Amino acid sequence: MKLGLASIAAVALALMTSTAMAQTKEVLTIDLPNDVATLDPHLQWNTDSYTVYRNIFDNLLTRDASGKIVPQIATEWTYDNDTTITFKIRDDVTFQDGSKLTAEDVAFSINRIIDPALKSPQLSQFDQIQAAEVVDPTTVKVTTKSPYPALLAQLVKLSIVPKAYVEKVGDQEFNLNPLGSGPYKMVEWKKGIQTELEAYDSYWRGQPPFEKVVFRAVPDVSTRIADLKTGKADLIRDVPPDQASTIESDSNTKLLTGETERVGYLYLNAEAGPTKDVRVRQAIAYAIDKQGLVDALLEGYGKPVNIVGAEPIFGYTDAVEGYPYDPEKAADLIKEAGAEGATVEFLTSPSYPRALVEAIQQMVNEVGLNVTISSSDQATFLKRRQGGAENAGGMAFGAWSCACQDADGIIFPLFRSGSIWAKYKNEKYDALVDEARTILDEEKRKSLYAQAYEILREDVPGLGLYQVFALYGAAKNLQWEPSANEAMFVMDMSWQQ
Amino acid sequence: MLNYTVQRLVQAIVAIFGVLTIVFVVMHLSGDPTLLLVPQDASAEMIAELRHQLGFDRPIWVQYLDYLYGLTQLDFGDSVVQRVPALDIVASRLPYTIQLAAGALVVAIGVGIPAGIIMATMRGSAIERILAAVVVTGQSVPTFLSAILLIFIFGVTLRWLPTSGAGELRAMIMPSIALGALSMSTFARMTRIAIIDELGKDYVRAGIARGLSLRQTVFRHVLRNASIPVITIAALEIGNLLAGAVIIETVFAWPGIGQLAIQSIQSRDFLVVQVIVLLISFVYVMTSVLADLVYVAVDPRIRLVR
Repeated sequence: MKLGLASIAAVALALMTSTAMAQTKEVLTIDLPNDVATLDPHLQWNTDSYTVYRNIFDNLLTRDASGKIVPQIATEWTYDNDTTITFKIRDDVTFQDGSKLTAEDVAFSINRIIDPALKSPQLSQFDQIQAAEVVDPTTVKVTTKSPYPALLAQLVKLSIVPKAYVEKVGDQEFNLNPLGSGPYKMVEWKKGIQTELEAYDSYWRGQPPFEKVVFRAVPDVSTRIADLKTGKADLIRDVPPDQASTIESDSNTKLLTGETERVGYLYLNAEAGPTKDVRVRQAIAYAIDKQGLVDALLEGYGKPVNIVGAEPIFGYTDAVEGYPYDPEKAADLIKEAGAEGATVEFLTSPSYPRALVEAIQQMVNEVGLNVTISSSDQATFLKRRQGGAENAGGMAFGAWSCACQDADGIIFPLFRSGSIWAKYKNEKYDALVDEARTILDEEKRKSLYAQAYEILREDVPGLGLYQVFALYGAAKNLQWEPSANEAMFVMDMSWQQ
Repeated sequence: MLNYTVQRLVQAIVAIFGVLTIVFVVMHLSGDPTLLLVPQDASAEMIAELRHQLGFDRPIWVQYLDYLYGLTQLDFGDSVVQRVPALDIVASRLPYTIQLAAGALVVAIGVGIPAGIIMATMRGSAIERILAAVVVTGQSVPTFLSAILLIFIFGVTLRWLPTSGAGELRAMIMPSIALGALSMSTFARMTRIAIIDELGKDYVRAGIARGLSLRQTVFRHVLRNASIPVITIAALEIGNLLAGAVIIETVFAWPGIGQLAIQSIQSRDFLVVQVIVLLISFVYVMTSVLADLVYVAVDPRIRLVR
């Protein structure tokens, strides 16, 4: 009898849910940790801002599911010479006010973001560009200061803004009431609460999947999970690994995992303190059990790496041998260097997972060093980490992504001498990464990065730990494949029965 | 009386000015927002360039004088992160904070004062012991825990109330309770002590001798006399409720100035922080001035002493 009731209930439930599912989903709600800082895509480049505004704007280029750079607003491009590249522009794209997108808008967007008067924090991503000029309504010519292979990867991040509208309303008003050519147009930005977008019906790539999209600002992760479980949100981001199981075990929700281009790494100061001795740095590399970190602290949501770079990047190589976990060898190296009991300062801030930092501290202490953790707020952390080598601590944990899927965006800023992050100098290494960023031959670049990674392995100014997996919580019916660059394009999502 | 008011106001302005200056200096000495604004691959020259454009490379006293000059023009400056006037940002968040503080105050006073009265007049009863337990709980459970528990019970399990957000009345219930709990306990305790204090006085015995019931004595005479310390607490609590909602606002995704303050401090958005500090110190100082003036109105004895 009991069984009978249960099966009736199950059938009834199935019927109810199936009728509910038959209706199309009109409003998609996404919980982000913070509110948008600016909706002007040429101002702030932080995750919470671009997650929203990249749905309002189109980019000149984009990446397909495999990470390959493919056309978006530009249909094709050719190199006229090493510093000049000509883009053909689609002629069927309209902005959300109905006006046509032309080469004028593309050239304006490029010249706007490189104009120092805009004070854009993104300038450094585009400062290799000399200028953009209109050739005809569907052709734009871009010149760079020197040959610059990462240009296309950077242009994936360039949103196209409407020249006429921006010039008419001014920068301030444009930020508050943005207008783009993307799949969604802005309806209302309730500061600190949410941003509401509405489908742009004449979007050139077809009808967007949801009538409305709401991005809410929910800082606390437990609250985001509660929102997801109660259906107040359909998609949430930044789920910590230890909360993954509560989302997986709920029958209404599921966990989405994105194997990102982000790499968790350990910086080691090669210019000051006990870590100035390469044997100490190598000892630290031997002392760390990467698989152990991934299994114990990330619940398996990560993949150990041998280099400072993850698989989705151009220039990734598996030819470089990693440092196996070998605490005895590490202890021997420390003894050989005469560094037993030497104090190494481990810089960190609340932005980095504390448990991971402590686990690394423990592992390194076990082989004979004395690691002390110095935690400060993020601004102070950056000031020290990016400042002079003497005051930059002995080690620090970081999780790096350039959102450009190219080794140039990772190991150039991290280890090229003269860069703010580098506490390391090796002329041979500098020459390799310098050359790799100024030539366009892909095979040649790959071999240069393979050599550069070999040097980094030998010198250990930094140690790749693991590829970061981005975790999202989603409603059961949401279909979406997270990408390596952690972008969230609503156009790629759908609602399935 | 007028002299007294003017004197209090001058003190208030000096206090606010002091707070403003200290916060300005501390914020600026501990680094500027440039490093947090630039993308990670920025070069040292790019950072220096942006710092110069934003004006953070000037000596701190120049920046301070510049800021003060702006204040005299009622210009509070622009947020370096959002690129809009700092005053507009804070003003857009303020209504939410006031709503939440009002909700919490309703919980605190609506529950706290009756609870205090009952605990004072029904000493030794079972109901007093139950109320005492409630009061101690409200006082000792940390807000981040009570907030998450409320969300889990009423939001996720029972699904009576929305788990987060602002805009509908229902969404206000849980944050108001979580925020008001501590103040509720304070009100209950203060009311109880003040009434017990008064109950021992001669006029109460005289009233009862005249044939009034305890209830009549309390409502006609005791409450008015017991209200002085409670008003002091109320003034302080309003300040606390406006400024102290940081955790509650973060947990419930409530877009008030507490959450804004935390985010602005983290991103070193100086001018937004300054406006918030200005506002909170203004509220604190003004509520205490107001409380002083209310005493005088409520209790003629204070007026006579002056």
